[in-house]
Amino acid sequence: MAYRGEDELSGLGRRRLVAALRPRARRAQVVAAVLLGLLGFAAAVQVRATRDAELDGLRQTDLVRILDDVSERAARLQAEARELQQTRDQVAGGSNGNLVALEEARDRARVLGILAGTLPAVGPGIELTISDPAGAVGADVLLDALQELRDAGAEVIELSTVDGPAVRVVTSTALVDVEGGIEVDGEVLVSPYRFRVIGEPRTLAAALDIPGGVIDVLRQREAQGLVTQRSSVRISSLRVPPSPRYARPAPDTGGASNETDETDGDR
Amino acid sequence: MIAALGLALGIVAGLFLEPTVPVWLQPYLPIAVVAALDAVFGGLRALLDGIFDDRVFVVSFVANVLVAALIVYLGDQLGVGSQLSTGVVVVLGIRIFSNAASIRRHLLSA
Repeated sequence: MAYRGEDELSGLGRRRLVAALRPRARRAQVVAAVLLGLLGFAAAVQVRATRDAELDGLRQTDLVRILDDVSERAARLQAEARELQQTRDQVAGGSNGNLVALEEARDRARVLGILAGTLPAVGPGIELTISDPAGAVGADVLLDALQELRDAGAEVIELSTVDGPAVRVVTSTALVDVEGGIEVDGEVLVSPYRFRVIGEPRTLAAALDIPGGVIDVLRQREAQGLVTQRSSVRISSLRVPPSPRYARPAPDTGGASNETDETDGDR
Repeated sequence: MIAALGLALGIVAGLFLEPTVPVWLQPYLPIAVVAALDAVFGGLRALLDGIFDDRVFVVSFVANVLVAALIVYLGDQLGVGSQLSTGVVVVLGIRIFSNAASIRRHLLSA
C-alpha cells in the first residue's frame, strides 16, 4: 500500500465506510449480512451455552478431573456423615449406657466391699467353735485354722469370742498372742473362740477335719473344736478400710474389663 | 447497513430462540466463532482499504471456520485439543488485533 497522509487515509476510509453503510441491496451487502447474522447467532448461542452449562463444553480430561474431585468430596462427606451418625447414636444411647455402667460399677463395689469387709455378707457356710479351757490354743493354731479355711475357699470369715466381740477377718488381719487371749486387729478375744465362715460348707468342714488338721491339733492341745454346717451364715461385723497414705489409684490404662479380671484372680 | 442489521438479527435470534448446541458441535463452535470474527474484521479492513470483495469475504469466512474446526478436531484426535485450541485462539486474536489496528488507523487516523 502506497503511503498516504494520515488525514487523507482516514478520510478515504470514512467515506468508504459511509458508502458501505448506505442501505443498498447489493450482493455483497446481502452476503455480508447473512454471514454476520450467522456469526451473531453462533456467538449468542455459544455465550448462552457457556453460561448455562459449564460441563457441556469441557473436554474428557477436565471432566475426569471434575468427576474425581466430586467423588473425593462425596467420600469425604460420607465419612463425615458416618462420624456424625456415630456421635448422634452415642449421645442418644448415652443415658442408657451410663445406667448400665453405673449398675456395673455398683455391682463391682458390692463385690469389693464383701472382699474388703466393708459390707455385711450372707451365704452358706460353717461355724467352728473352739473351747480352750486349758489356754493352750494360741494365735498359731487360729492362724492355721484361718489358712485352712482360706485354702478351702472361704469367702468371708469372722472371728469372735462366743457371744462377745467379733472381728471381720480380711487380708491384713493379724493375730497376736496376748495375756489371756488373742488380739485380732486390736480387739482382744478370749476363749471360746468362734469362726463364722461363708463358703462351700462341706469343703470347709472337710478341710478342718483332715488328719493332722485343725481339729486334730485342737484335740492334741486338749481343746475342743466343733464344726457346724449351716445353710445360711450372716456376717454383719464390718471393718473400716484404712485410707492409703501413699498409694493412689493408677491412671486407667487397661480398661474396666482388665480390672474385673484382676479382681476375679484375687478371689 | 444491511450487514449490521444481519449481525443484530443473528444475535437477537440466538438469544431468543435458545437453541441447544448439538453435542458434536460443542467443541468447535467457540473456535468457529472466533475464526469468523477474524474473517469479519479482515473484511471490514478490506472494505476500508477499498479492496472488499464479497466472494473473497465469503470464502475467507467459510475457510476460516472450517480450518479452525479442523484444527480443533485434529487436536482432539491427537490428545492436544485444549492446547491447540488455545493456540488457535491466540493466533486469531493476534490477527483480530492487527486488523483492528488497521481499521483504527483508517477511522481515527491514529
